[in-house]
Amino acid sequence: MSPIQGIQPPSRPVSPLEAFGKASATQRTSSGLDQFAEVLSGKLREVNSMQSEAGQMVHSMLTGGDINEAEVLTAVQKADLAFRMLLQVRNKLIEAYREIQQIQI
Amino acid sequence: MLRALDISTSALIAQRTRLNAVSGNIANISSLKDEHGRANPYQAREVVFQSDDSFSLSGASGVKVQEIRTSDAEPRYRYQPDHPLAVKDGKWKGYVAYPNIDLTTQMVDALETTRAYEANVGVMEITKSMSRETLTIIA
Repeated sequence: MSPIQGIQPPSRPVSPLEAFGKASATQRTSSGLDQFAEVLSGKLREVNSMQSEAGQMVHSMLTGGDINEAEVLTAVQKADLAFRMLLQVRNKLIEAYREIQQIQI
Repeated sequence: MLRALDISTSALIAQRTRLNAVSGNIANISSLKDEHGRANPYQAREVVFQSDDSFSLSGASGVKVQEIRTSDAEPRYRYQPDHPLAVKDGKWKGYVAYPNIDLTTQMVDALETTRAYEANVGVMEITKSMSRETLTIIA
C-alpha cells in the first residue's frame, strides 16, 4: 500500500472525483470518473490478491507444508483488515451516491 | 498498521524456533551418541536472536534467529564401568559421558518462551483492535 501523501491544494478548480483519481500513479487524459474507477478497481485487485495469498497459505499449512502457522494466521488477518477497509470505503461511496441522488432539481 | 502485525509475527516465529531448541534439549537429555552414532553426548542448543530491520517501520524492528549455537559445556561423567560406552582410559576411566543439560534451566526457558509468545499475541490483539477502531472513523 502506498503511503498517504499530504493533501496539496489544487492548482485549478477540480471536481472532488478528479482529485481522488490523481492519487493513483497513472496519469491519464480521460475523465476523473474513469481515473477514480481505476483507483478503486486497483485497490480491489490488491485486496483480492491478499485474500488469495492467504488462502494459498492456509492450503499449504493444512496439507502439511513447511510453513509457520503464525505467518499463515497473520496473512489471513491482514487480508481481513484490508477487506474491511475496502468495505468501509465502499459503504461511504454508496452513502455519498444516495445523498446526491436525493438532491431535488 | 499492518507492519506491526509483521513485526509481532517475526517474534512469534523466533520464539517458536527457541521452543523447538528447548524441546530438542529436553528430548536429548540422556542421548549418549550424536547423530552420526559416535559416542559423543548431546550438547545443548541455544538460539541467538538478532533484531531485524527489514520491516523498517519508523525505527521499529522485528526479530530473527541469528544462529543456533551448540553449547560447549563439559559433559557430566557418571561412574558406570560396565557400560559399553564407558571411557576406556585416561582421567575418566570407567566413567560414561552424559549430556550436561540442566532440566530446570530448560523448563524455565520453555516457560519464558511461552510467556514471550503470549505477550506478542497480546500485542497483535491490540493492533487488530486499533485497526478495527480506526475503520469506524469513516463509518
